[in-house]
Amino acid sequence: MVAEKESESETHPIPRARPKPRPIVQLGIFLISHSLLFSVVFSTAGVLALLLLPVLAKNTYISENALMPGSVAPMLSNQEVAEANRLVKDLTSLNSKPLASAIGSQRLISQYMSNLGAEVSHHKFHPQLNQFHPLHFFSSPDSGRVEQNISCALHGVNTVGIIRAPRGDGKEAIVLVTPFNSVKLNLNEALSLAIAYSVFSLLTRVPWLAKDVIWLVADSQFGEYSGVAAWLRDYHTPVFSGLGTLDAEMCPESNNIYGLNENLSTKRTIYDGFKRAGTMAAALVIKVADRSEQYEDSLSIYAEASNGQMPNLDLINIVNYLAVHRQGLRVKVEKFWPLLGLKWLKTLGEIFESLGHLARSVNPQWKFGIPAADYIEGSATLASSLYYQALGVPTGPHGAFRDYQVDAITLEIFPKVSSLDNKVRQNDFLLRSGRLIEGVIRSVNNLLEKFHQSFFLYLLTSPGKFVSVGVYMIAFALLVAPLPMVAASLYVDASNSDYSLKIDKPAPFANASDEPCITLKSWKWLFAAKKVFFVHLWGSVVSLLPYFICQIPSCTPTTSFIIWVFLSILSLVVMYIVLASPSSHANESQPQRGEWAILKSVTLSAAFIGLCLMSVINFASAEIGGLLMVPMCLMAHPLKLDVKARSIRTVSRVVYNLVLGFIGFPPVAFIVLKGAFEGFSGVNVGDFWSWVESLWAWNSATYLYIGMVYLPCWVLCIHILFHRC
Amino acid sequence: MEVKEEQSTKRKKQKQGRFWTWVAASVLFRLILIYFPKNLNLSSRPEVSTPLTSLRRLAEGYWLKQSSMSPYAGSMYHGSPLLLSLLGPLTVKRIEGQPSHLLCSLVFVVADILNAMLIRATGQTLQVAYRQSLKSLDLDTISESMEVLSSGDIAALVYLWNPFTIVACVGLSTSPIENLAIILALYGACKRMVPLAAFGWVMATHLSLYPMILIIPIILLLGYGPDTPRKLLLMRRCGKVEDNSSSDSCQQQEKVINQSDLPKVFAWGPPMLFLLWAIMWSVYVLLLCGISVKQYGGLWEMFERMYGFILTVQDLSPNIGVLWYFFAEVFDFFRNFFLIVFHMNILFMIFPLAIRLKHRPCFLAFVYITISSMLKSYPSVGDSALYFGLLGWFVNELSEMQFSFCLFSVYVGVSLLSPVMHNLWIWRGTGNANFYFATAITYACLQMVLVVESVSAMLNHDRKLKKLTNAKLQNGKC
Repeated sequence: MVAEKESESETHPIPRARPKPRPIVQLGIFLISHSLLFSVVFSTAGVLALLLLPVLAKNTYISENALMPGSVAPMLSNQEVAEANRLVKDLTSLNSKPLASAIGSQRLISQYMSNLGAEVSHHKFHPQLNQFHPLHFFSSPDSGRVEQNISCALHGVNTVGIIRAPRGDGKEAIVLVTPFNSVKLNLNEALSLAIAYSVFSLLTRVPWLAKDVIWLVADSQFGEYSGVAAWLRDYHTPVFSGLGTLDAEMCPESNNIYGLNENLSTKRTIYDGFKRAGTMAAALVIKVADRSEQYEDSLSIYAEASNGQMPNLDLINIVNYLAVHRQGLRVKVEKFWPLLGLKWLKTLGEIFESLGHLARSVNPQWKFGIPAADYIEGSATLASSLYYQALGVPTGPHGAFRDYQVDAITLEIFPKVSSLDNKVRQNDFLLRSGRLIEGVIRSVNNLLEKFHQSFFLYLLTSPGKFVSVGVYMIAFALLVAPLPMVAASLYVDASNSDYSLKIDKPAPFANASDEPCITLKSWKWLFAAKKVFFVHLWGSVVSLLPYFICQIPSCTPTTSFIIWVFLSILSLVVMYIVLASPSSHANESQPQRGEWAILKSVTLSAAFIGLCLMSVINFASAEIGGLLMVPMCLMAHPLKLDVKARSIRTVSRVVYNLVLGFIGFPPVAFIVLKGAFEGFSGVNVGDFWSWVESLWAWNSATYLYIGMVYLPCWVLCIHILFHRC
Repeated sequence: MEVKEEQSTKRKKQKQGRFWTWVAASVLFRLILIYFPKNLNLSSRPEVSTPLTSLRRLAEGYWLKQSSMSPYAGSMYHGSPLLLSLLGPLTVKRIEGQPSHLLCSLVFVVADILNAMLIRATGQTLQVAYRQSLKSLDLDTISESMEVLSSGDIAALVYLWNPFTIVACVGLSTSPIENLAIILALYGACKRMVPLAAFGWVMATHLSLYPMILIIPIILLLGYGPDTPRKLLLMRRCGKVEDNSSSDSCQQQEKVINQSDLPKVFAWGPPMLFLLWAIMWSVYVLLLCGISVKQYGGLWEMFERMYGFILTVQDLSPNIGVLWYFFAEVFDFFRNFFLIVFHMNILFMIFPLAIRLKHRPCFLAFVYITISSMLKSYPSVGDSALYFGLLGWFVNELSEMQFSFCLFSVYVGVSLLSPVMHNLWIWRGTGNANFYFATAITYACLQMVLVVESVSAMLNHDRKLKKLTNAKLQNGKC
């Protein structure tokens, strides 16, 4: 709407006879005529607002009344913990005998489950290799399974136990996930199994359960994510033809899962087919970290799913509330450590703090400003929140659930140092973690509908503080607002200069002789639009190239990267020769003074559209991309003109443009950012390839953004810089 | 001189060649896209297939009919029974190893090409008329300079290469066929083929009801001839000159008028003939429909399920229009009232526009189509494809349209943002209906701005021509 408003005025100066335009038009004209001032003000305000976000963060609150966390005393007792300890002991003793431990531990777990009276089934899956599927984002979750490259030789087995709720109708379920590597078992995984087992055994007996509980022991020998993702895929795509799952059908080998079901004693409950419960209300992934905390037990929450999607804030809230207020665990979310030591951030925090004091002294009602230390912590957390959302790569197995609209988080529990050696301490640890999980499940069990009350679009600045979409969008809007403004002002200038040219010409009377040069005046931008379109088309070609490059066998990242760059340049040249020749011909026929201005205006509009689009898909990557792109696009100005002018202002602009143009190139930007935070030692161009590979392997929209918005805009900016005008 | 002429003919030939290569390329592009229907999944997009135009629903209707049930049973199919017997057999025919619905897709591609050709032919007629009228105004210089742009070719290419058209064609919606009927009507009226115009109008009305309002531009077109802007001006000029003495200049003008032998007044013959033919065709179409739905409740059932479905907005699944959201919110007892209000909205605009633009019936048709595609109950991108194609006819007149760049950018932005919002709402669950509706409302506003701007550009153009002729006249007198 802003663009519309602004460009509404962009052509209004032409009919000058109009006495007084409407106020909204006047406002537009005012904005456009002072576009330089306003763009500086707006973009500075945008950056400032981004820095202010930790100050503006609000405390979280539980929005859904039905959840009622912690209203009942936990029921988990030492009895369940003792049983869980037995499981740990059995597992570790099994692990000491190396032979057949994989099958053995699976069998052991399923035995334990079925002894509790749960329905047990095994799910066999084949890990999917990395596939190039960045467009997956735009389609429904299950349309991605059209072609899969699975390798039949590898397979993993998930063990699934389901408790049917005595009060439920089997339409809804809560999922517990414990990643578990059956080949190489270690103690922390056994402990996470123990936590889940203690809760599970409690839940078989409780009368209040209204939703089925699924315990998924996910085989993590191919990574924690793939097992969960495969199970979810099969859960949501029922096969009606036979009992086997889809993956098993694709690989026609023996469907008998290596004698897992041979055990006669468990035969009554272990079921060969795929067992389902209802739709999932929430999922919790439980992990016990292998490194431990110094002082107290603590809990780390990971929430980012693919493409910066977050689970409903209420889920994080109840976990945070129960962990802090009931179980006395210290809750953390990921921080971006390099930021903690920054001097300027500290100064900024102090400034904000003193401003807050000032505000409070003026009016005690104004609760503005937080302590500087909090500010630094908050901005480090915010930075990591932004970074992981922008990356678009899920931070744990919970990411697989988000693709099916299930809210899920990973809880990583850090035991206190040396607590694991001590039996009593271990029991206490299990009890507290188990009670936390029990409390969360009890809250989710109360839900009448799926999570919908609280926010989905937010950034965390600490476990108990968040910035909602309404606040952080302001920062982004301020940052990108100069783009349409400057585009409109350039466009108006370019068309006005033509107009004045025409008026300057001796026109004895308004006859038809000067008619031809008016013709299509308002469509002059079409040439520039064509150019911009072809550059964006080239961008999509470039983003498709890795699909072919990654099929070249035995390529190191560096060579792949070089091939990629080479092919991109080649395709640009080919495209220029094939497609741009008619347009360049058309341009030569009418060498326009303001041609670069029109081109820049179209580029700015394209960048604006791209950034707005990306802000809806994945806010964080749009924000970071905008910080890089907006100054580059706004400042682009032909070097030739600047060099000709030779004033201090133009020379500084030339330097600035060249530096920005160099840094703006995506690989360079990546290496510079990486070097700034991790040090320049051991940085090589292959890293960029590996990073990009991880992006497309995880279907990240950020990859598309880089290829189809950022890179073309960079090329166009460079084109404007070296424009011959 | 000869060399120049030779050059111009050569250039013309070259231009022709380029036109045909672009047409061929567009066909090739469609054929390539047809081979990847699964990846694109266009046929299930709400932007492409509405309940009225979806081929999947048509296949369902055909299946019901084959199993001797009413095709309208179960509220799946709402199209015409004629379309059912035309396209229905093609939906079940499969060729081994080819994508399903290949034959239907080919039919749509053919319809698209036909549309483009008809648009081109009509555009050429319009241009000839335009040039003639300029000549009769002694403004030949303009027409010479404008030879660069042949609006027919441009309109055809705009239609063929518009992403909306391509998406509607590949996405298995029947809107290319509906568009074909509308364009056929306009073509027939421009070329003064009354039976063809009547057939097109009747078919278009039968298929999607809203083109019914095109009867006004068609009658004007038949009565006045294709967009001949300056008859009124000519007469006025003559009168003015007469006032200013010098009677022989007026005679000269009259000679010009006689030369151009344009119908100056409304000719009643062709419109009457048109009405007659229209009645005949509609009786014929109704007869055919009656035969095909005889066992399943008869014609009344068809009316209820087709036109009733369109007029009462029964399907509230989201689309790019604005009505679904409104009627999902409105209380049931106000529903009828608001139904009337919303449909009157279209009707309200008909007569003022007809009075103001009666000298440009083709442009009037474009305006009507745009308005109805904005306010209709189940709009799809196929409708936008049609009016963009028609917009190409007026490139010369609209060359000074304001905000063209802004309109274009917002169109691009909205058409990209709308699927993303839909994804956010339906698949990711993090957005809600308001997100998607916001893009729908922006889209509607955009179409409104397009109508307003194009109409004002057209009127400005007329004004400019008037000024130029007046200036010339004065000049000549001096």
